[in-house]
Amino acid sequence: MSSDTTRPDATFGPVSGDDMAEWCAALRDDNAIHLSRAAAAAAGFGPNRVNPGPANLAYVLSAAMARDPQAEFARITARFLGNVFEGDMLSIRLADEAAELRATTRDATVLAVQLTRKERP
Amino acid sequence: MPRPEAATDPRDMPDGWFDLTPELDDRVRALSAAPPRQGDRAHPIHAYLGALGGMPMRIGDFSRALGLAFDAGPVLGECTMTYPGRLRTGQRYRVSTEILDLTRKPSRRFGMADHLVLAITLSDASGPASILRFKMITPVVEDEQRHDTT
Repeated sequence: MSSDTTRPDATFGPVSGDDMAEWCAALRDDNAIHLSRAAAAAAGFGPNRVNPGPANLAYVLSAAMARDPQAEFARITARFLGNVFEGDMLSIRLADEAAELRATTRDATVLAVQLTRKERP
Repeated sequence: MPRPEAATDPRDMPDGWFDLTPELDDRVRALSAAPPRQGDRAHPIHAYLGALGGMPMRIGDFSRALGLAFDAGPVLGECTMTYPGRLRTGQRYRVSTEILDLTRKPSRRFGMADHLVLAITLSDASGPASILRFKMITPVVEDEQRHDTT
């Protein structure tokens, strides 16, 4: 995805550990790296809990929906390039058929998304 | 290592169910800064939430039953969600899970990792509404180390 501006289309954060627990409950995901700082550290992720990947994807989709509320998606492809940690500030860049999530606090791209919309009736 | 919820072999797991309630959709929108729902059109991330939330086994127990070291902290590699139909609030979906691939590969992060690819379909009376295909990458951990990370 390329752009000639540096301004994000949306921002999100700081990412909350309490929110991670809610995402995990909805996903029925007991992966301890999302729920315990000790587990995240033991697994080599550092001192903070790791946000569940689907939550990261939801932030991007929500930003795309806010930009175009009438749009419906036919296909969404996401590549999880890095992790989001509690406390992270995020920025989202949107293009017609692509989007990108960056952890601004670490200047890292963590998610690349391809969006294919359904044809409007 | 925690016991799986059911003694079912994951390959023989029956279908599950996912109730996509307006309240759940509202909460997901609040957690992800989404705009308000229009009619009964649900947030597209429910293709993911409904898939994992509606499986008869938790994804962790499903993975453990396959012999994967879920407690070592798996990560997502990639996913694709397609929408042959529509996800609507107030609808109950059948959740069908298929193992597409399970392969052990060298990993830059983990040394060796198990790559599990699943396809999980949410269906209503008119057929498939969404299909999630995703890859989960789980570190390969020797048996004696499996208890050390949680």
